[in-house]
Amino acid sequence: MSTGSETFYDVIRRHGISRRSFLAFCGLTATSLGLGPAFAPRIAQAMETKPRIPVIWLHGLECTCCTESFIRSAHPLVKDVVLSMISLDYDDTIMAAAGHQAEEILDEIRQTHKGNYILAVEGNPPLKDGGIHCLPGGRPFVDRLKEMASDSQAVIAWGSCASWGCVQAAKPNPTQATPVDKVVTDKPVIKVPGCPPIAEVMTAVVTYILTFERLPELDRHGRPKMFYSQRIHDKCYRRPHFDAGQFVEEWDDEGARKGYCLYKVGCKGPTTYNACSTVRWNEGVSFPIQSGHGCIGCSEKDFWDNGPFYSRLSTVQPFPIEGNADAIGGTVAAVAGGAVVAHAAASVVKHAADKRDMKNERQAQADKTNG
Amino acid sequence: MTPPPPGSDVHAADATAEDASASTERTSIRVYEGPVRVWHWVTALAITTLAVTGYLIASPLPSVGGEASDWYVMGYIRFIHFTAGYVLAIGWLVRIYWAFVGNHHSRQLFTFPFWRKDYWDGVVWEASWYFFYRRWPKKYVGHNPLAQFVMFIVFTLGMFFMIITGFALYAEGAGLDSWQYALFGWVFDIFPNSQSVHTWHHLGMWAFVCYIILHIYAAVREDIMSRQSMISTMISGERMFKDNRDD
Amino acid sequence: MTTMSTPNGFSLDNSGRRVVVDPVTRIEGHLRLEVNVDDDNVIRNAVSTGTMWRGLELILKGRDPRDAWAFTQRICGVCTGTHALTSVRAVEDSLGIEIPKNANHIRNIMQQTLYVQDHLVHFYHLHALDWVDVVSALNADPKATSSLAQSISSWPMSSPGYFRDVQTRLKRFVESGQLGPFRNAYWGHPAYRLPPEANLMAVAHYLEALDFQKEIVKIHTIFGGKNPHPNWLVGGVPCAINLDGTGSVGAVNMERLNMVSSIIDQSLAFIEQVYIPDLLAIASFYKDWMHGGGLSSTNLLSYGDMPALANTHTNDSLMLPRGAIIGGDLSTVHEVDLKDPEQIQEFVSHSWYTYDDESQGLHPFDGVTDPNFVLGPNTKGDPSTRIEALDEAAKYSYLKAPRWRGHAMEVGPLARFVIGYAMGRPDFKEPVDATLRKLDVPITALFSTLGRTAARGLECQWAAHRLKESFDALMANLKAGDLSTANTDKWEPRQWAHSSRGAGFTEAPRGALGHWVEIEAGKIKSYQCVVPTTWNGSPRDPAGNIGAYEAALLDTPLHDPEKPLEILRTIHSFDPCLACSTH
Ligand code: HEM
Ligand code: HEM
Ligand code: NFV
Ligand code: SF4
Ligand code: SF4
Ligand code: F3S
Ligand SMILES: [Mg+2]
Repeated sequence: MSTGSETFYDVIRRHGISRRSFLAFCGLTATSLGLGPAFAPRIAQAMETKPRIPVIWLHGLECTCCTESFIRSAHPLVKDVVLSMISLDYDDTIMAAAGHQAEEILDEIRQTHKGNYILAVEGNPPLKDGGIHCLPGGRPFVDRLKEMASDSQAVIAWGSCASWGCVQAAKPNPTQATPVDKVVTDKPVIKVPGCPPIAEVMTAVVTYILTFERLPELDRHGRPKMFYSQRIHDKCYRRPHFDAGQFVEEWDDEGARKGYCLYKVGCKGPTTYNACSTVRWNEGVSFPIQSGHGCIGCSEKDFWDNGPFYSRLSTVQPFPIEGNADAIGGTVAAVAGGAVVAHAAASVVKHAADKRDMKNERQAQADKTNG
Repeated sequence: MTPPPPGSDVHAADATAEDASASTERTSIRVYEGPVRVWHWVTALAITTLAVTGYLIASPLPSVGGEASDWYVMGYIRFIHFTAGYVLAIGWLVRIYWAFVGNHHSRQLFTFPFWRKDYWDGVVWEASWYFFYRRWPKKYVGHNPLAQFVMFIVFTLGMFFMIITGFALYAEGAGLDSWQYALFGWVFDIFPNSQSVHTWHHLGMWAFVCYIILHIYAAVREDIMSRQSMISTMISGERMFKDNRDD
Repeated sequence: MTTMSTPNGFSLDNSGRRVVVDPVTRIEGHLRLEVNVDDDNVIRNAVSTGTMWRGLELILKGRDPRDAWAFTQRICGVCTGTHALTSVRAVEDSLGIEIPKNANHIRNIMQQTLYVQDHLVHFYHLHALDWVDVVSALNADPKATSSLAQSISSWPMSSPGYFRDVQTRLKRFVESGQLGPFRNAYWGHPAYRLPPEANLMAVAHYLEALDFQKEIVKIHTIFGGKNPHPNWLVGGVPCAINLDGTGSVGAVNMERLNMVSSIIDQSLAFIEQVYIPDLLAIASFYKDWMHGGGLSSTNLLSYGDMPALANTHTNDSLMLPRGAIIGGDLSTVHEVDLKDPEQIQEFVSHSWYTYDDESQGLHPFDGVTDPNFVLGPNTKGDPSTRIEALDEAAKYSYLKAPRWRGHAMEVGPLARFVIGYAMGRPDFKEPVDATLRKLDVPITALFSTLGRTAARGLECQWAAHRLKESFDALMANLKAGDLSTANTDKWEPRQWAHSSRGAGFTEAPRGALGHWVEIEAGKIKSYQCVVPTTWNGSPRDPAGNIGAYEAALLDTPLHDPEKPLEILRTIHSFDPCLACSTH
């Protein structure tokens, strides 16, 4: 780490915050992270001694909504994250430098902070034709990504693009857009999916790493368990209506106005791991379901190809026939039923014919013996 | 072909000469032991329940009115599904156990003599019987080769699939710390989006519906048309042959 | 080529030194600019290149048209919602679906909220650093800063103590040696002209605006459930209104409406007491930096937006006017028809796509998106190492080249304001005249980089006022007893004609946005988007017309080609969005 860097504690102190309230803050942080007050001194120690950790934020194929979401963070305020907690040395969307002055930063950080910076990736690299569908700085994004990842400490894959591929990877994925963990295989990749992820989830993941100096516990897909271990449906406030069997049947119907469950109009909450129904969006103002629209599953892998968004059943992809499980299964079952009926009828006819033949044969046999 | 000779000794109280002349000589073999039969019918009931409730989980009944706390329609439907799911799964475990300790017929369901030519000849023979090329099928003590084919592919493998995917879905509700997730969470390595597990589990239901249609039809038809008993076999365990010809 | 003149009246000379800016930062997406400067470091040739493409138009094929809004919304998270709105309009136009009044008001509120937030963020966080020297703010006198601030605005946070705190924080930040996003920039560049006090005020407001922008979008959250990427619905809006019935909590009710209303008031205050005064104060120091006009004094286009009357898309209903100005003739505003095959066409002769006949343009209903990345013979370097310089005589961008009746057009706030002005609409004319008066500059000053930046500020204010009006209109309609938010008469695909097509439009914050959809057997058969940044950032067409970015960069003197701050200024004045432009 470069010397002369101020620590989080310095930063807080110069905000006019006393040591006492700094310690109180650490206690609060410990509690809010579910760690109990015993952890407060450790947090305090971490914050007093550490210079701000460099963060490099790269953009591949994306829509920038992850950055947009990030700047909506209310606790902590994004200005405090950027000015006091991390050193956001590169993020094309907000950084002042441009062109080669911007590119130089990447090389500099790679050398001076080798193994010590966090690489945050928004969007993903397209691999088709050597990656020519994303050429920031005049070269394939995938090359830059691998290079920056190789000297990083860890990689954060922001959003569904970096985590799963997202919209550009939806069929037929014309550019072969590929999730970050498929090209960065030598570093831990923390997936923070969502299209975009919730602002406070993003800043919490960053501050967790800074505070506890370790990566958060991840689930089998590499998502922080603290935010992605339960489905929207598990904590949805409309769940009692689901259990009761009270559904919005049609937009703006009686049930919609009463806040019934959106399952029948396609809510993917039962299959979506995210924190929306608890953390909610934009400082807890609402989340998709609270504002009347089903969850479209935006934090899930390939959610674009698990639509349509307004039907409980997904279109089944690998089949040549278009349709959902009921359309396909129902058709096959109807064919089977029809075949059975036809076969039964044919069997009756055949059985009768055989019986007649057999009788005749027996008669003939008997005639022969008798005759 | 000679018609079967009239049975010689019909020891029934009211047997007439006519009855005696209409009788054939039959053999009966004990095929399905008690646990297999009980398992069969329990499974039949469980799967029917699972298909009906599963369908209703995906396409719920029309909404009910009133307070949410007055109702538990979806809750009960799902509860029944899960209960039937447990019955099915536990039954399946018992059935697998029985394959080790029961008679050799109890193992047939789990074997598939893929590499044996005479097996495939048998499949062809049975298929040709179903296509009306033959006047009668062969006799079998156990399942006929075609039945074995369908049972293994659709039923045995399908059963594993439905139980695994069903429990994986169940694990999502039970939570990441549950034993269900520990045992079945790997399903989400194959299908990271649980929505696709739903879709495949749902398609599996239709595979079972098709299987059941064909299975019941075949059971009834063979009971009437084949040379051996079928339905009663699954009730009594005894396989009865209607004739003693050896073709 | 060394020198040549373009049909749209510019002369290009690529003989001088080539200066490349890649990545262009503080924009959305990936943009590369190459210019040639003459011996006096004046730009004589400009090449604008979009360096990303995702293929959304291909991905949409075969999908449910009711889902299209969500896909197209992911074209961009910065102008979030505007593609979704354009998409539901295209699908509704195709299927003949009318929306309820409340839905129309709520959609207007969503769109106006986007304007307010997006313009504000653009000014402070994407553009201000082209004019404001952060490091110079360290030398400011907080007291003098306070009097400066108080002299231009009644905004309460302007005491000497406040500015001293900001300055102290900034000082410690700079002293830490970790400059973060302010690292390696052009601080101290002689083109920066603000006194330290104005710089400090702007930096303070940079931070305040960062805090405040997240409040504005809560309006999206209320009606759409989240921001970025709120939810939309074909046939209306997804949020139900329930004022006092059972279950009203959780639907749009009095509490939610109060929150909207309060955010609108706060937004108006912030814009009028912070944004506009800052804009005028900064502009007053740069009055004579009159570069960057480009196409703005000649060809301007707007599709119009924000219908006051639901389902009425004519100029007597559209709050933002629809029309085109050609050749700088403000006396005639031409009618614009998105479905007329002669009007809007896209060319690909210089774009990384292929057509059967690249000398012709295609109307979006016949549009083709077939990628074809090839580099011209005079390209220097290649992607496997690094492209050093592109060959603009060949294909050189992932943007197509949209043209209106063959003309390259500028779109965006300035275009809208000039068109509104030319139509004599007072809500455009009055603020423009007042601003020109305040800055004491002639109307021609509008057609410049600063004019574009000023128009965006005025439009932000305009939108905040319309936001209040749309909210009032919604309330009046609710008061009249209408609670309907969605029309489901044609929700089911079986109720649709076998095949149909339609066009949807909005004025996105960056300009005219159109989506064209063809639906067959319940599925999308073809989908084409022509996007504001596609217009402005357009490469050349077969006739050699250059687009708005290229035109605006021409003739600008660079103080130091190694630090091309002037290029950033002009390009940022368009608020480029490259993910939008190529989609
Ligand atoms: C959900 C419904 C059902 C399922 C899943 C099912 C499944 C099975 C399976 C797996 C076997 C093989 C048993 C073994 O080898 O251990 C079997 C055999 C049999 N089942 Fe079913 N069954 C169902 C319903 C029925 C019904 C309703 C009938 C009667 C009409 C029936 C009649 C039979 C008969 C006769 C056999 C013996 C076939 C033979 O001897 O080859 N099943 N069934
Ligand atoms: C042959 C056996 C089974 C059939 C036919 C069946 C059928 C179904 C169907 C049609 C669904 C709805 C899927 C959808 O969302 O589209 C479903 C859901 C489900 N099934 Fe099964 N199932 C079977 C076995 C099981 C078993 C063994 C379990 C284990 C407990 C199980 C647990 C579940 C669960 C947890 C769900 C999801 C419920 C929800 O989303 O609320 N199923 N099943
Ligand atoms: N160009 C563009 Fe957009 C806008 N405004 C949309 O249509 O920014 Ni992302
Ligand atoms: S994950 Fe979604 S929100 Fe984030 S960049 Fe990708 S498309 Fe945009
Ligand atoms: S609205 Fe969606 S998440 Fe909520 S209970 Fe219904 S199905 Fe589950
Ligand atoms: S759509 Fe996305 S925002 Fe949350 S409620 Fe569903 S995960
Ligand atoms: Mg297009």
